[in-house]
Amino acid sequence: MTTFDLLLQQTINGLSLGAMYSLLALGFTLVYGILELINFAHFNVFMVGSFIAMGVLQLFGLNGQEVILTGLPLAMVLIAAFAVTMVASGALGVAIEVLSLRPLRNVKGPAAMITTIGVSYILFNVVLLSQGADAKNFPNPLPTKRFQIGGATLDLRVILIWIVALALMAGLYVFVQRSKMGKAMRATAQDPEAARMMGVEVDRVIVTAFFLGSALAGAGGLIFGLYYNFTSFIIGFTAGLRAFTAAVLGGIGNVPGAMVGGVLIGLIEAMAGQFIATAWADVIIFSILVLVLVFKPAGLFGRLAPQKS
Amino acid sequence: MLTRRRAAQFLATAATGLALSATHVSESWAADTVFKVAVDCSLTGADSESAVRVRNGVTMAIEEANDANAIPGIKLELVTYDDGTPTAGQYDPAQAATNARKMVSDRDVMAAVGPQMSGAGKAMAPILSQGGLAIITPASTNPDITNPKFAEQYRPAGKPIYFRTVTTDAYQGPNMANFFADKLKVKNVYVLDDSGAYGVGIADTFQKQAEAKGIKILGRDRLDPKAADYTTILTKIKSLNPEALYYGGVGQAGVKLAKQSYDIIPNVIKGGGDGMYGPAMLTAVGFPAAAGWYATIASPHLVGDTKAQAFVDHYMGRFHSPPDDYTITAYDATLVIIDSIRRVAASGKKVTRDAVRDAIQTAKVNTIQGVV
Repeated sequence: MTTFDLLLQQTINGLSLGAMYSLLALGFTLVYGILELINFAHFNVFMVGSFIAMGVLQLFGLNGQEVILTGLPLAMVLIAAFAVTMVASGALGVAIEVLSLRPLRNVKGPAAMITTIGVSYILFNVVLLSQGADAKNFPNPLPTKRFQIGGATLDLRVILIWIVALALMAGLYVFVQRSKMGKAMRATAQDPEAARMMGVEVDRVIVTAFFLGSALAGAGGLIFGLYYNFTSFIIGFTAGLRAFTAAVLGGIGNVPGAMVGGVLIGLIEAMAGQFIATAWADVIIFSILVLVLVFKPAGLFGRLAPQKS
Repeated sequence: MLTRRRAAQFLATAATGLALSATHVSESWAADTVFKVAVDCSLTGADSESAVRVRNGVTMAIEEANDANAIPGIKLELVTYDDGTPTAGQYDPAQAATNARKMVSDRDVMAAVGPQMSGAGKAMAPILSQGGLAIITPASTNPDITNPKFAEQYRPAGKPIYFRTVTTDAYQGPNMANFFADKLKVKNVYVLDDSGAYGVGIADTFQKQAEAKGIKILGRDRLDPKAADYTTILTKIKSLNPEALYYGGVGQAGVKLAKQSYDIIPNVIKGGGDGMYGPAMLTAVGFPAAAGWYATIASPHLVGDTKAQAFVDHYMGRFHSPPDDYTITAYDATLVIIDSIRRVAASGKKVTRDAVRDAIQTAKVNTIQGVV
């Protein structure tokens, strides 16, 4: 492999990682934008999503990487898997909001954030105890098809991941910018009191934000499984932390910022592993985060919101 | 198979089969003294499958001893400690240390079996040493803990308390290096570890012997066992064109490494220590990704052995799943403890931790793998 091939291959790796981080980062950013709450339960909504996806794929009779589908059946299975996983994860997010966070809405201080940490641990332990601690062989019906670009290899799976992630993110962007609910979300983010006075149902806005964020995390979980062919109860922590970093890097509360932040973190991780050592990847990621925040405290795309008191 | 001979030399010379007497059971009397035997293994986390097998091996030995009334007047009770935590996702040295303190503070605990993981063993050894409690490990293989050079660190109270029924990484790592050099004619290799005590140790011993054998070390890097993505490092390894990859570590990172390396570097020879030898390689990695890995194991390979067949049958009847080699080393470790307590009791001395420790050190017990 020439240096150019190597760079190209690491870019491909980094973009695949970045696509996953972006999907996850959006969930942090949506909720933070509206509630100014860091939702740590999101880490493990992503993990639960991957288990839901595994269950759905197994319902189709898929087991490990033994059954390979092509053409229409493949498309149907994937569409069904994404639909079920996203709706179920979204519902989980809404349940977390309604059951554990809404009662704390008017409590000042970090109570709500601590609650999300608690919920995160509950999800984590429920999966650990019910599914067992071993790594699971994730069903993958995608045919292995590889394209050579120079010396670099581009997998069909990777292309699919990019397309799905891009489509979901574009859909979310259009929803936030164009739809009536999206407008209500942006209004609530700017000033919840004023939005309420203008007739926005703030609780519905919050529920929508949780649903969308968690559905994207579920999609992220499914993509994770298809990309790595495994899942385990522990996958939420590292991916969640990196995605959260991505959201902060892009400017937490800012939707395009989360997307760009995710891709950047993915690329940094890949390049750091290539040119320094994977053992140092975290150090480098967080050093860059600190540097960015020193010079742009609101993140790359964020604005410090002067409207809020 | 690779380390079988060495391990066998290390442990034993001849074996005379099972000494399980079939004399059936005298009723237990209310007057029986009860002593506890502790077991510590990583029941929570990526290594839980093999942990359950270790615990089962110990359970079985103790049940058999109690049923056969192996130590007249004394009943043994098993206390299980789990050194795995959900946050670590595998063994957690801090939890292991806590467990060691609990064992030491329970006056009835006479000896212990465990741990599975060297990282846990390093945390436990100093505490057990100060409590004078002997432990026999069925699976942890890092040589430092029993190396006199580190005595101050791992046995501050002086006497040896950490015993093994397996060989150490001082044999495992170099054996794979010899195998790579002599049998597979490997010229260069990339070395990875999982940043745990066992993984780093075994990778170091491999690397040293590989260099001595003239194999070129193309690089060395460290995996974060909690991270999911190793494509970056594997791409880097691919670009270096190595003939072989050696991984020192346990299953949490190992399973992911096996899957992803099959995609990226399918034709590179891959090897690992006993951390890569276990049921997870088959259930979680699956074929074909698991094929093509070479692994050493620190116990003699016993499960297929005819001498062990009676044990395997018995185990299947009790737990309805097959044992592995470390079940047997755990069972054997427990036999040694039972025998030591028996000898102390028979000599008329008071059964104390110290007496049991001394007895373990001088033990000569017929076990499945031979005389220990």
